Amino acid sequence: MDTKKRTVKTGFIEALPLAIAIAAYGLSYGVLATQANLSLASTIAMSLLVFSGSVQMVTVAMLASGATFTSVLFTSVLLNLRNLLYGAALAEGFAPAKKKWRWLLSFGVSDEPFVLGSARFQKHGPDPLYFGIVASTFYVAWIISSYIGAFIGGQIDPLKWGLDLAFPVTFVALLIPSLKEKPIIATALTAIIIATALEYLIPGNELTIIITGVLSPLVGLYLKRRSRDD
Amino acid sequence: MINNWILIGLLSVSTYLSRVIGVEFMSGREMNPTLRMYFNYVPIAIISALIVNQILTPADGEIVISFPILIGCLATAITIKIINMFLPSVVIGIAIGILTRYFL
Repeated sequence: MDTKKRTVKTGFIEALPLAIAIAAYGLSYGVLATQANLSLASTIAMSLLVFSGSVQMVTVAMLASGATFTSVLFTSVLLNLRNLLYGAALAEGFAPAKKKWRWLLSFGVSDEPFVLGSARFQKHGPDPLYFGIVASTFYVAWIISSYIGAFIGGQIDPLKWGLDLAFPVTFVALLIPSLKEKPIIATALTAIIIATALEYLIPGNELTIIITGVLSPLVGLYLKRRSRDD
Repeated sequence: MINNWILIGLLSVSTYLSRVIGVEFMSGREMNPTLRMYFNYVPIAIISALIVNQILTPADGEIVISFPILIGCLATAITIKIINMFLPSVVIGIAIGILTRYFL
């Protein structure tokens, strides 16, 4: 019992700083979703059911720019492919839990829980409870902040407050801190070049995002392999 | 409206599947490291493309650069590089974008 309590406490304390960061994203997501004309109910429902910052942000950005259903879905599948890796890497840490609990824990598999969970499993071995506490803390932070964001976003005049700037600026703030390794920087630069070229060639076409998302990582991959072969 | 709800439903199913498949079926199998790296770079590419998409807006069949958005983005990039804090950088970027729109 005592170790369980300690795990709950540790999980919560370690999740808290990241939960605040997640709440900041959640707030932006809520505001952006109202910009994409999503109702308050569907904005919250998406946070409750999908619980994925990148999928939800990209979805509302694409909806706001008038993308079709199919291209939104395809892009989200592409974004979700990395969850396969996270899940595979975390599976051993979930192993002591019963199947039904593993299926519940799976819902929490995404970027931030993966980082905390895999660090914990490496140090202390499998610990499903820890992961559950971390993911639940993030879930609560994500839902409350989405609600507040959607509420604020619906109350104010978007152009006057520069809310149309919120999308691109939020994405820049998400992107810049991750540009650390050369292959990642090369992927981003390639994406900018391809997307710009595609927009100039065929203005306003919605394949831009998908084509760019599929092709640009190849350049990063090439650089990564070359640096390893040297 | 109904379309949005169907989309939310499909997104939640596909996202959950990607999670549970990873945990239940991919565990114990070694994934090709090249493929792993590719997936890691995909979000970077998509986010970059979305930024470009917002800066370049189509008008009458041609592409126009939105300077308030471009300058706002640059301001955010510089700010987050210096102070490394998410929300303040977003707020500064938006403020500078609004000022650009006002004075341009």
